[in-house]
Amino acid sequence: MSNHTNQTIARISEIIIDELKLEDVTPETFDADLDLVDEVGVDSMDLATVALVLRDEYGIRIDEDDYPKLTTVRIIAEYIIDKQNSNE
Amino acid sequence: MSAQHQQYKFSEIIADPRIRERWEKVRRYFFLRESTYDMSNRCNIRCEGCYYFAGEKQFAIENSDENSWRRLFQSEKERGITFAVLAGAEPSLVPHLCKICYQTIPLGAIASNGLKPISREIDYRIHISVWGNDRTSETIRKAPNMLARQIANYKDDPRAVFVYTFTPENIDEARQVTKLLTDNGRQITFNMFSAPVGYQGHLRHTSETLKKTREVMSELLRDYPQTVLFSTYNIVAHTEKSALHELFSCSYPRMNSSMDVGLGRTFRQYRTDLQWDREAACCVPDTDCDDCRHYAAGSALVTARMYRHAIDPVTFSAWLDYVDTYLAVWVRGYDKGVNLCNTFITPPPKN
Repeated sequence: MSNHTNQTIARISEIIIDELKLEDVTPETFDADLDLVDEVGVDSMDLATVALVLRDEYGIRIDEDDYPKLTTVRIIAEYIIDKQNSNE
Repeated sequence: MSAQHQQYKFSEIIADPRIRERWEKVRRYFFLRESTYDMSNRCNIRCEGCYYFAGEKQFAIENSDENSWRRLFQSEKERGITFAVLAGAEPSLVPHLCKICYQTIPLGAIASNGLKPISREIDYRIHISVWGNDRTSETIRKAPNMLARQIANYKDDPRAVFVYTFTPENIDEARQVTKLLTDNGRQITFNMFSAPVGYQGHLRHTSETLKKTREVMSELLRDYPQTVLFSTYNIVAHTEKSALHELFSCSYPRMNSSMDVGLGRTFRQYRTDLQWDREAACCVPDTDCDDCRHYAAGSALVTARMYRHAIDPVTFSAWLDYVDTYLAVWVRGYDKGVNLCNTFITPPPKN
């Protein structure tokens, strides 16, 4: 896995922890493969909030239809990197 | 009107102190996850265009076993439901079942015709349906003195909000009803008649009646800001020529096949036999989705489209007004703020 992907995962973890006020978790200990809905408890409005912050951070648009696909931090990171690459 | 030319970051939109304050106010309620429950297949009145007595749900066997309901609500709570909507046909006829729900899920709302008062110990929002003045109610609902009886039953009751359903035939009567409710210190919100599947009667809206409804809603919102729980964007969302699904993409299972996140995952609509059917699950079952402008539908659909509205301060303010209205109408103890956006904006498209 590239350094860029690792950095993106760490930053997304940081955003989710901050936005959703997750306690007892740090970006370093946040498991990037946890299912955000089933294991972290993220719901659709949480996801929409995170999507807005990610839009600010990375300058990419997250389509509403893609929300259900964004099941883990790793998948979100790959989604963002793909979007960034396709915008280049 | 919306500022479409400038690209805004979300952080820039909520940098405005009024917007940020409202955003922080409403986001505290994002934990709400609803399901709805038909409590009884009986009603003490029969109204033309009633959603409950359309389709098959009216034929479900009525389960009156308290332990069965208690187990249902407990299991609903355990799967994450935090808000219960008690409806169909008339929940006030089974107050003991409403009480069981309230004891298990303390946030909720009851849709009632208001003719039989619900005990104050059930501290849910109570939506009292109004379909015009008393003369019109008697014609459509076959019940005399509806409004006078509803007001008397819920005098000084902070749970009550009167829900005025605009049909093509009662648009002008909304002035009289709103004035009467104002004089009695009550609050009103607006609903739109949305045709049940197969309904071709005279209550179905036309482009002319939608336009006229928009004008009257605007007038009442302007003239009775303390009484009317609504916003300019509510008016837009519910009186556009396009109905809610076309404008916002319905999130309820009947129109949303996704079971991954949101209402498609969590929402269920239980019938009186405590069964539910994903294919029929909807906030107001048996409504013609192409004509759905229902206030309950909009509360979920428009609210869920936050991302789409976070494009500029005006559009996001309109969305915040809608959510603020939704919470004030549905959640006990939530007070509506002053609307932030008083201009008619076009609902933003999906992409």
